[in-house]
Amino acid sequence: MERHDYPALAEKLYTATLPSGLRVMVLPRKGFTKKLAYLVTDFGSVHTSFTLEGKEHTVPAGIAHYLEHKLFDMPGDRDISEEFASLGAIVNAFTSYDMTAYYFSCTERFEDCLQLLLELVYTPWFTEESVLKEQGIIDQEIGMNLDAPDSVVFDELMRALFHAHPIRVPILGTRETIREITPQMLYDIHRAFYAPGNMLLCVTGDVDPEEVAAQADRFLGQDRKEPGKKAPYPSEPDTRARELVRNTMEVAMPNFSMGIKFPFPGLGLDGIRREMAAEIATEALFGESSELYLKLYDQGLIDSSFGGGFETVDGCAMLLCSGDSNAPTAVRDAVIAQAGKLAREGIPEEYFRRLLRSAMGRRIRGLDSFDSTVFRLCAYAMTDFPYLTFPEVFQSITREDLQPIFARASHPEHCAISIIDPITKEDNT
Amino acid sequence: MIETISLRPGITLRCCRDGRFKQGCLTVQFLRPMGREEAALNALLPAVLLRGSRKHPDLRSITHALDDLYGASVSTLVRRIGDIQTVGLYCGFMEDRFALPGDKVLEPMLALLEELLLDPATISGAFLPDFVESEQRNLIATVESELNNKQAYAMARMVRTMCAGDSFAIPRLGEKEDIAAITPMGLWQHYENILATSPVEFFFVGSAESSQVAASLESLVSRLPQGQRVRPEHISLRTAAPSDFSETMDIAQGKLCMGFITPITNRDPRFIPMQVLNTLFGGGMTSKLFQNVREKLSLCYSVGSSYHGSKGLVTVAAGIDFDKETAAREEILRQLAACQEGHISHTELTAAREALLSALRASMDSPGAIESYYSTAAISGTGRSLDAYMAAVEAVTLEQVVEAARSLQLHTVFFLKGGV
Repeated sequence: MERHDYPALAEKLYTATLPSGLRVMVLPRKGFTKKLAYLVTDFGSVHTSFTLEGKEHTVPAGIAHYLEHKLFDMPGDRDISEEFASLGAIVNAFTSYDMTAYYFSCTERFEDCLQLLLELVYTPWFTEESVLKEQGIIDQEIGMNLDAPDSVVFDELMRALFHAHPIRVPILGTRETIREITPQMLYDIHRAFYAPGNMLLCVTGDVDPEEVAAQADRFLGQDRKEPGKKAPYPSEPDTRARELVRNTMEVAMPNFSMGIKFPFPGLGLDGIRREMAAEIATEALFGESSELYLKLYDQGLIDSSFGGGFETVDGCAMLLCSGDSNAPTAVRDAVIAQAGKLAREGIPEEYFRRLLRSAMGRRIRGLDSFDSTVFRLCAYAMTDFPYLTFPEVFQSITREDLQPIFARASHPEHCAISIIDPITKEDNT
Repeated sequence: MIETISLRPGITLRCCRDGRFKQGCLTVQFLRPMGREEAALNALLPAVLLRGSRKHPDLRSITHALDDLYGASVSTLVRRIGDIQTVGLYCGFMEDRFALPGDKVLEPMLALLEELLLDPATISGAFLPDFVESEQRNLIATVESELNNKQAYAMARMVRTMCAGDSFAIPRLGEKEDIAAITPMGLWQHYENILATSPVEFFFVGSAESSQVAASLESLVSRLPQGQRVRPEHISLRTAAPSDFSETMDIAQGKLCMGFITPITNRDPRFIPMQVLNTLFGGGMTSKLFQNVREKLSLCYSVGSSYHGSKGLVTVAAGIDFDKETAAREEILRQLAACQEGHISHTELTAAREALLSALRASMDSPGAIESYYSTAAISGTGRSLDAYMAAVEAVTLEQVVEAARSLQLHTVFFLKGGV
């Protein structure tokens, strides 16, 4: 394996690409009891069109998440979760817009657990009956999200912000779309995007990197399969689709989520640099140390629930903030106006340095969390960026890099807001 | 591995020296009795302290100081530990060795903590009315936003009825009307009383030596008034008459809550078998509730149980379709009966034991988890080390688990259903 040293972070990362095409990354952590392994594919809910072996496929919304659930089914009476549990390990999975991850954490018998994880992901087994049975469970999960204001306010924002990008559809899909899912579709996706050449194994904890790679290699063998190709996204206008969307729910106070649409920052070092500059710009715009945050807080327009950041999803990007407020549109107007002010005036060099130092310190502290570190290693590897070089990237960002971000955020036509209002007595009658 | 240093009578520093992490943490907690009279005051206090001090008159100035310390954080800490409510601050900060040459983080962090605790912004001998009022609004919003999480709302609703008269029924952050009634002067006087009479617990996790931490805290500690600091006492659980009730709300999924009582608390030798029983019954994906009520019978999306060892209470929560109430309730009781009759397989017992052990082992892997485990153990008076805890879990037998299950008695059931 190849060893990469990051002395400033006191970390060493081992990487390899196996003959099967699987990429392996191991970040050893001596003296820790917990071990964490992620097996991920860059296939998520926004990928509903693709080509496999020359044939075009369009699949129903929500299928990535459906597959994540169904992959836990094993032939015969095997209950893989129970097998993990009997090893004292916890296994779980999640689906995001552009990634699906299967992972376990354990403290002992790591090898046995890794074997189970590989079996779980590489034993697709779907029947008409088992696919049908899952509908009830996923219906419940969709129902739970429909009762959760945070989730509704966000899904509605995506619909307001985008005209055509599939991020408009919730990750879980809808009760209608999941009923279109067939076992054959699940097999197709598994072949297209769960081919080792399309996946990444990332491990951290007190483990031997070479042994991890060797074990995965023994399991997968030499056979390299051609992964599927994702179709390009439908073309997406530069401006938001709708300015404002309002709903009512059982909430105590209006809850809002606003977004400012940005072009996809791109892959590799340039993309990451743009993303990290946007992170600093976001802090300067409405982070806790900003002029605006203090002003809005003092005016009672926001409370400590307010926060946000810059988010990148395959094919799109946005600056987001959310919270509870009795005057959400006033908050939106203030953010846009402040972006205009910063675009005109810039921020003082001293303040910029302080923000950089803080962002870097927080990322260094974040390395203590196994989960966030492995997640970031995977997510950045998928955009072709070695995550642990972040200190150098931060150092290379200048104050001027922030200006185009402020300028973009100051144009209202890029901005959408989603609001959940409380149900009032009148609504009920 | 935890070193305990008495800094003054009633003022204790506990240190866990550990060089594995990139960040350290330090908490300060004042111990108060959990009671209606002061729960809201205690919950509001740290939020007001974080609004401004003499040197850092506003939020922005405090944040700048934290940014200079490589993005360190200070947050409010309000815990319920049995009949004690702790009130204080949590500091998280990067270890000195990752800072640029010549820069220090720990020492200035503790100086900032002293400033925030002992030099708050005041006017006419009380907290600033602006700060108090806006934090009152924030805290009320936080309490109200519990309504957004329907499962948590339903559980709080049940506990309030079931434990009426006990401190457990009081919301951790106090009652809305009590928060609203607080005045800047009232809060100030309460704080002066806390500073003078409450036991103080400091907890540090990081690579620094305990003597260095103690020395760095000396300036802060020397400014605390001297005098008697008496620990609040633990009181046995008081419950109201058993009840079975429901409420309607405009929601898509029903929330079923069940409350059971047990004489076994965290100071009882049977505490650890009870933890194992709870894990086996409803604690996670391998539990009887998850495997049967969710997986086998598809009666619910979510189901699980929690054991509140400080008070001797087990609660079960399930997210279900409205028409599944009776079926889900019967099945949950059937699973408990199975435990009580000893219908527990070897696999189930091993999985429960392993899940618990795994969680305990992993709690040694983050500064926050170490702090939370050990400071809670110290304050609750169990003082159990993680090693002793784990050894006891390994030794738990089937008979002990069955005995723990038999001690459970259904007390109250609450169903939050749809329709207005």
